[in-house]
Amino acid sequence: MENRHAPPGVNSRSETAAQSAADLEVLREIEHVYFSPPAQFDAARYALEHAPTPPDCDAIHRMFTKLKRQQQVVSGKALHLISQQRDNCDREFAEIQNIREQLAQTLQTCREAREQLKTASNHLTISTFVILANVRKRQIIKSVLKSLELLRSLRSVEKDVADLLSKKEYFEAIDLILKSKKAAANNKEYTCIADLSTRLQDTLDMTEEKLDSVLASICHNFDEDVFKKLKKAYDLLGKTQAAMEQLHMHYSSAVNESAIEAVKPFLNEYTIELKFQEMCQSVPTNKAPMCLLNLCENLFRVMRSYYLLVNWHLKNEEIQPSSSVFDIEKNVSREYIKQKLKAGLIRIWHDVQAKVSIFLKSSGLEEFQFEKFIQMLGILRKLTQVAEIFCGDTSDLLQDFIKTQSVSYIKNYHRGRMEELKLFLENEGWEQCPVKATFNVLNLQEFKQFRKYLNPKSDIVKGPQSEATSSVPSQDDSVYISKYFTEKTSKTPFEIFRNANVTNDDIFGLEPESEGSDESDDEPDELRRDFVEDTDVQDFSNDIQSSPSKIKESVIVTNTTLSVLRNCGQYLQICRYLPQISLEVIMLMNQLFDYYFYAVHIFFTSDLDVASSTLYSTKLNLVLKRISNSINGGDDTKFECPSNPEHLDMISEANLHGLSERIVGVESVIFLAKQFELLQPYLESIVASHQQMILEHFRDNTLMVVEDLRMPVYMCSASKAVDARSALIAMSQVRWDVKNVAVEHSPYVDMIIRKIQVFALRLENVATRVTLNMRVVQSVWGMVSKFVVHLLVEGFSNATKCSNGGRGLMQLDYRQLFVKLEKISGLKPVPYQDYVDKYVKAYYLPRNELEIFVRDRTEYSNKHLLALVSCACENKRDRQALTAIIECRDAGS
Amino acid sequence: MSESYEYLFKFLVIGSAGAGKSSLLNNFIGNKFKEDRCHTIGVEFGSKIVNIGGKSTKLQIWDTAGQERFRSVTRSYYRGAAGALLVYDVTSRDSFNALVNWLRDARTLASPNIVILLVGNKKDLEESREVTFTEASQFAQDNELMFLETSAKTGENVEEAFLKCSKTILAKIETGELDPERIGSGIQYGTATSKRLTAPKKPPRTPSDCACHV
Ligand SMILES: Nc1nc2c(ncn2[C@@H]2O[C@H](COP(=O)(O)OP(=O)(O)O)[C@@H](O)[C@H]2O)c(=O)[nH]1
Ligand SMILES: [Mg+2]
Repeated sequence: MENRHAPPGVNSRSETAAQSAADLEVLREIEHVYFSPPAQFDAARYALEHAPTPPDCDAIHRMFTKLKRQQQVVSGKALHLISQQRDNCDREFAEIQNIREQLAQTLQTCREAREQLKTASNHLTISTFVILANVRKRQIIKSVLKSLELLRSLRSVEKDVADLLSKKEYFEAIDLILKSKKAAANNKEYTCIADLSTRLQDTLDMTEEKLDSVLASICHNFDEDVFKKLKKAYDLLGKTQAAMEQLHMHYSSAVNESAIEAVKPFLNEYTIELKFQEMCQSVPTNKAPMCLLNLCENLFRVMRSYYLLVNWHLKNEEIQPSSSVFDIEKNVSREYIKQKLKAGLIRIWHDVQAKVSIFLKSSGLEEFQFEKFIQMLGILRKLTQVAEIFCGDTSDLLQDFIKTQSVSYIKNYHRGRMEELKLFLENEGWEQCPVKATFNVLNLQEFKQFRKYLNPKSDIVKGPQSEATSSVPSQDDSVYISKYFTEKTSKTPFEIFRNANVTNDDIFGLEPESEGSDESDDEPDELRRDFVEDTDVQDFSNDIQSSPSKIKESVIVTNTTLSVLRNCGQYLQICRYLPQISLEVIMLMNQLFDYYFYAVHIFFTSDLDVASSTLYSTKLNLVLKRISNSINGGDDTKFECPSNPEHLDMISEANLHGLSERIVGVESVIFLAKQFELLQPYLESIVASHQQMILEHFRDNTLMVVEDLRMPVYMCSASKAVDARSALIAMSQVRWDVKNVAVEHSPYVDMIIRKIQVFALRLENVATRVTLNMRVVQSVWGMVSKFVVHLLVEGFSNATKCSNGGRGLMQLDYRQLFVKLEKISGLKPVPYQDYVDKYVKAYYLPRNELEIFVRDRTEYSNKHLLALVSCACENKRDRQALTAIIECRDAGS
Repeated sequence: MSESYEYLFKFLVIGSAGAGKSSLLNNFIGNKFKEDRCHTIGVEFGSKIVNIGGKSTKLQIWDTAGQERFRSVTRSYYRGAAGALLVYDVTSRDSFNALVNWLRDARTLASPNIVILLVGNKKDLEESREVTFTEASQFAQDNELMFLETSAKTGENVEEAFLKCSKTILAKIETGELDPERIGSGIQYGTATSKRLTAPKKPPRTPSDCACHV
C-alpha cells in the first residue's frame, strides 16, 4: 500500500498527544451543522451568515482563524482515519481480486461442462430419431419420384418412339410402346395419364403405319438390315404373315408407281387422272426409247428388290424341324410365306410384262427409225434375259410380242424401202456405176459383219454361231445379268443403253471380236474403202475405144442396184438381232430383188413389138407371173408398180433404142441375182433347216432365171435393127418360082446386111457407155439373129409359089446372110440358124415326114406351115390332108 | 405408213465431194453426224415431211456424189428437181470455185425454174475458213441464189436451209410462177390433196401388127 500524503500541517506522527487533546477540543467545538451532507448544507453560506456582528477585522479574523483551525483539525483527523483504514482496505481488495479470479474459472468450467453435456445429450438421443425420421421421408419421396418419372416417360413415349423410328430401331420402338401401354394400364390411378392409353394406341397405330411405309420402301430398294429390323418388329407385333401379304400389295403398287414415274418425265403435261396407257400414248415418239429404258430400269429395280427378298427368305428362314406346337405353327406360317413369295415372282413378272406391253402397244413402234427400233429390241431382249434369271420364265408373252412387233415393224420398214426403191427405179438413169471389176456385195460397208461368213475365196461358209444370236441368254449372259441382282449395286443391266457410243452388237452381245477379225483380214477392208473404180469414166471408155472389139469382163451395176444391196445389208442386220424372224426378213429382202427385176422387165420390154412366145422361157414367165401376183396381191403385200420412166431415150435409133440403158438394166439384175446367190449360203445358215427349201426354191426359180431376161429385153433393140416391113416388101419382090438355082443372092440380103452393119457400128457406140461382156454381146447378137431368122421365115412363107430353084435361092440367101452376120457379130456359129434352115429344108421332106414336121414343129405358125405345105405338096389330096392337120393342131392346142 | 402431205418437192443436194452434202441430208432427216463418212456412191436418198406455212410437204431429197466420175450417174436425178441445195465447204476454196460448174449443170439439167439455195457448210470450222461470208453472198447475189451458212456437225441452219428453199418454192406455186401440174416441175400433189395426180396407167400392150412372129 502506498503512503498517503499527509494533510498540510500534519507532518508527523510525533506531534504529540498534547496536540491530539487540543485537536479533540477543536473537534468538539465544531458546530454540528457542518457535518451535514453537502447537498443540504452550503458551508460557505453558513459561515457568512454566522459572521461576527459587527463585522470587524478582528472578529473576522478570529473567526477565520478558528475556522481554519477547525478545517486543519478535521482534515488531519480525516487523514488520520484514512491512514488508519488503508491496509485493511488493501487487504480486502486483494481478497476481492482473488475471488473474482476464482469465479471466472468456475464459470469457464461450468460452461465447458454444459457444452459437453449438451454434446453428449445430442449424440446419444436426438440424432437417432432424426435419422429414422429422415429415412422414412426419403422413402416416401423416392416412390413419388418413381411415379413421376414413369409419368414423365409415359408422357414422352411419343417422342421417344419417333426417335427410335428415325434411328430405324423398329423393334425397340414397338417394344417401348407395348411396355408403355402396360405401364399406363398399371397406373390408371394417375389422372394425368388417364388418357394416355388411348394415345398410346394411336402411337402404336402410327408406328405400324410408319413400319408399313418402310416396308413399302423395301420394294424399291431391298436392304437386308432394314428388312431384318422390320421383320423383328412385325414378329413382336405378331403380324409377320399379314405384313408379308401387305408387302406383296406394296410390290404390286410399286410396279405401278415406278412405271408411272418412269414415263412421267417424258410427258409434256401430266395430270393425275391420266391412265398409264394414256400416258404411254402421249410420250413423243422420239423419246420413246429413252422412256422404255427408264421404264425397264425402274421395273428392274422393283424386280431386283423382290428377288433379293425371296433370296433372303430362302437363306434365313429355314424350316426348323421341331415337334413343339408353337414351332410347328411357326413353320406352317414360314412355309406359307415361302410359297407366297415364289408365286409372287411370276406375278410380278407378269405385272412388269403387262406394263411394258402397254407401253409398247401405245408407243407406235412401227414408226421408229431403224436404229431406235433396234435399240428398243435390245432393251426388250435384255428384259427377257432378266426375267429368265428372275423367275426362270422364258417370257413367251414378251417374246411373242417382240416377234409380232418385229414382223410388223419390218413389214412397215420394208414398205418404206419398197417405196424408196420405186423412187429409185423411177429416177434411175440406167447408167453404169463406176465400180471395180472385182466388186461384190461384200465390199459394201453394210456387209462388213458378214464378210467372215461369206468369203467368196474360201468355199466354207461358216454360219454365225447359233447360240450367239439365239434369243435365249447364254451362260455368260445370265452370269452377267445375275451381277445386277445383288444388293450392293444401284446399277441395272440396262445402263449399257445409256451410253451413246454403244453399238447394236454391244447391245445384243454379238461377236465382240468382229472388229479385230476384220482388221486381221485387211484386204476386204481395203476393198471396202475403195471399191469404186479409181479411173474416171472417161478413162475406161477411152480404153474401150482403143480396142473396140475387146470385150471386157466387168461389173454392171446401177445406183439402184447398190441401194438394193445396201438395203439387203440392213435387212441382214435386222436378222442378226431378230433371228426368230429371219425367214420373214429374207423373204422381204427377196421381194426387193423381185421388184427390181420386175421393174427392169416392165421398163425395158414395154416397147417389145414382136410377139414373144419363144422369147420368154417357161421359168421366166412363171417368175414374172409370181412377182406380178405378189406385188399386186393382198393388202399388206401390195405395192405400186413403178411407172415407166419418161426421161429415158428409148426411141432414138442412133442409141439403138436405149440399148445401153437396157443392157445396164438387165445386166444389173443379173449382177444383183449373183449377189443374192453369193449370200445364199449365209441365208441358209440363219434360217431353220426346214425353211431352207424356200430359199433354194427362190434361188432355182428366180435367181437362176434372170439371165433369161436378156432375150426379151435385147430383142426390143434387136428387132428394130432391121426394118421388118421394108425387108418383107423386098423379099416379096424376089421370084421364088425360078427354074434354075441363082448364082447371086437376092438384093434384100444386102439390104439386111447393111442394116446389121449399121447396128454393129451403133453397138460400138454403146460400148463406149457400157462395158459389154461376152455374154451381153452374144445375147444381143443372138437376138439380132433370132429376129433375122424369124424375118426370113416370115418372108419365105409369104411365097405361095416356090420352085426347087426358089428353095435353093432361099438357102443361098440365108447362108450369105449368116456368113456376113457371123463376121460382123463375131458369133460362131450364129445361133437360131436352124429355125430358117429347117423351115426351108422341110420343103424337101417326103409326105410322111412332112406330116410329122407340120404336126410337131410348133415353133412355126400355121401360116408358115400352110405356105410350106402349099409349096411342097404338088398332090392336092396330100395338101388338103396336111392343111387339115395344121388347122387341127391349132384347135387342139 | 400413215403419212399424208399436200405437196411433194423433189430436191437435189449438189456440190463438190466432201463439202458435206450427205452430212447435211443426214442431219436433216435426223441421223447422227459421223466424222468419217464414206463417199457417196451415185446417189442416195432421203425424205422427210415438213410443215411449211401450214402445209405439210414431203421433201424427196437426192444426195448426189460429188466426184467427177459419177457425173453420168447422177445427171439423171437432176431432171425435174424443184429445188437444190448447192453446197460448198467454207474451208475449201476449191469447192467454192467449183460452184460455177455445179450451177451450170443444175440450171441446164434440172427444171429451169429450179430454186437454188447456196449453202456454205462447215461453218463450225471458223478457224480454217477460206471463203468469207461476204464473198459468198456476193456470188449468191450475182447468180440470184439464196444463201445460208450451215454446219452439219452442229446442225446450225440445216433445217433452215431446206425450209427456206421449200418456202420459196411454195411461194412460187402460190403466185403461179411454178405450176405443179407441169411435167418435170419436181412438184406433185400429195396424198392429202384431192387433186392427186394418178400415175399414168401404162397402156395395155397391144399385140403388134408386125407380121413378124418371133
Ligand atoms: N466440221 C465439220 N465437218 C463436216 C461438216 N459437214 C461434213 N463434215 C465432214 O466432212 C466430210 C465429208 O462429208 P460428206 O457429208 O461425206 O460430204 P459429201 O461428199 O458432200 O457428201 C465428213 O468427214 C464429214 O464428217 C460440218 O458441218 N462441220
Ligand atoms: Mg456424200
